[in-house]
Amino acid sequence: MNTPQTATLLIGSAKPIGDSTSEALGGYLMQRLADYGLTGETHHVARAMRSEARTAGLLAAVDRSDLFVLAFPLYVDSLPYLTVQALERIAAHRQAQENARPVRFVAIANCGFPEAHHNDTALAICRQFAAAAGLEWAGGLSMGAGTPFGGKPLEEAGGMARGVIAALDLTATALAKGDTVPDEAVAIMAKPFMPIRGYTLMGGMGWRMEGWRNGVYRQLRARPFANQSD
Amino acid sequence: MNATILNGGLAGDLFVDRLQDLLLAELATAGYQPAAWTLREEKIAYCLGCFECWTKTPGLCRIDDAGRLVSASVINSHLVIYLSPVTFGGYSSELKKAVDRSICLLSPFFTHVDGEVHHQRRYDRYPALLGVGILPHRHVEQEQIFSTLISRNAINMHSPQHASVVVTRDLDEPALQAVLRPALSVQEAIHP
Repeated sequence: MNTPQTATLLIGSAKPIGDSTSEALGGYLMQRLADYGLTGETHHVARAMRSEARTAGLLAAVDRSDLFVLAFPLYVDSLPYLTVQALERIAAHRQAQENARPVRFVAIANCGFPEAHHNDTALAICRQFAAAAGLEWAGGLSMGAGTPFGGKPLEEAGGMARGVIAALDLTATALAKGDTVPDEAVAIMAKPFMPIRGYTLMGGMGWRMEGWRNGVYRQLRARPFANQSD
Repeated sequence: MNATILNGGLAGDLFVDRLQDLLLAELATAGYQPAAWTLREEKIAYCLGCFECWTKTPGLCRIDDAGRLVSASVINSHLVIYLSPVTFGGYSSELKKAVDRSICLLSPFFTHVDGEVHHQRRYDRYPALLGVGILPHRHVEQEQIFSTLISRNAINMHSPQHASVVVTRDLDEPALQAVLRPALSVQEAIHP
């Protein structure tokens, strides 16, 4: 396996730049890959899918990379709409090439549920995408309890990011050598940074506080479409 | 009984539209009042992931477009059908566009289902879910992923019943009917 020289990161979150956990995770991995000498570029899916010219830019970036990294949030058990659309375009683009350049593909999924295994179906979809697009599957990382990270750089996220950083460091070392994502990294990444009960309690408090701030505390359970007939 | 079909066919995919027509006819015969959304023809913005449908305008997406109407149609149905080309095992982008916007139908608060964390109900009743996937030819792995995805969605959406079928594009109308009719009985357990 040749060692990779170039990497492209696609951030699959539609949140504004600097606001997403996906960007924090993918950005950190790209920094570590840069430490190993890889040059990289980053694309945000909402921008990349905004016009044909920008989409062409993403497709070209994937073509000239040795490593394609997708970092995305879990939306309803799978990848978000714009990310699916981007993968559809990448697969079609590469299928249309007679001799598409070999590219390795890594996916990093994060979800708001505390259990990382909610991401399993999405990562299975990523693996099928790799096969359809003629990319070499280099593995996937799955993180639960992603909401508190927001767009904060992992180095500033304190103790809750310790495991995530360790997992991404191991992953960067392996990928830079041309290896796949290590099992140890997968296990560390999937480990909750706090007890599930504590996470759900704090999550509930967070939603209530946000509702209070927005003046809708008493309406949080509203049913605007309720004309259900039996 | 109401039924909603979400047609996730991409532009130019006439097979999906034919399948939608077939499903509409089957549903009407079975006593449903069916409605179909051809999602590629609808102006539906992508979910911003802002969670304002939970914390600022509870139950309602801040984007006032057809996405709201689709969500209203879904929650007021007894049966919802996700009709989609199987895309890497999952849904097409067109279907995913509408599905992402459906989180307003849930509460932000957590609950446990079979030992897993999920979101609480917002409404008293949720529709049964039927996934109808389309592949050019049999693909065991992708069919399994599609089936799992429907099952996972059914848990998250508190669907009382769910089922999925995958059909291939070489099937003719009688063969499609033979596959779809038993699948449509998914909802009979609740409303015989």
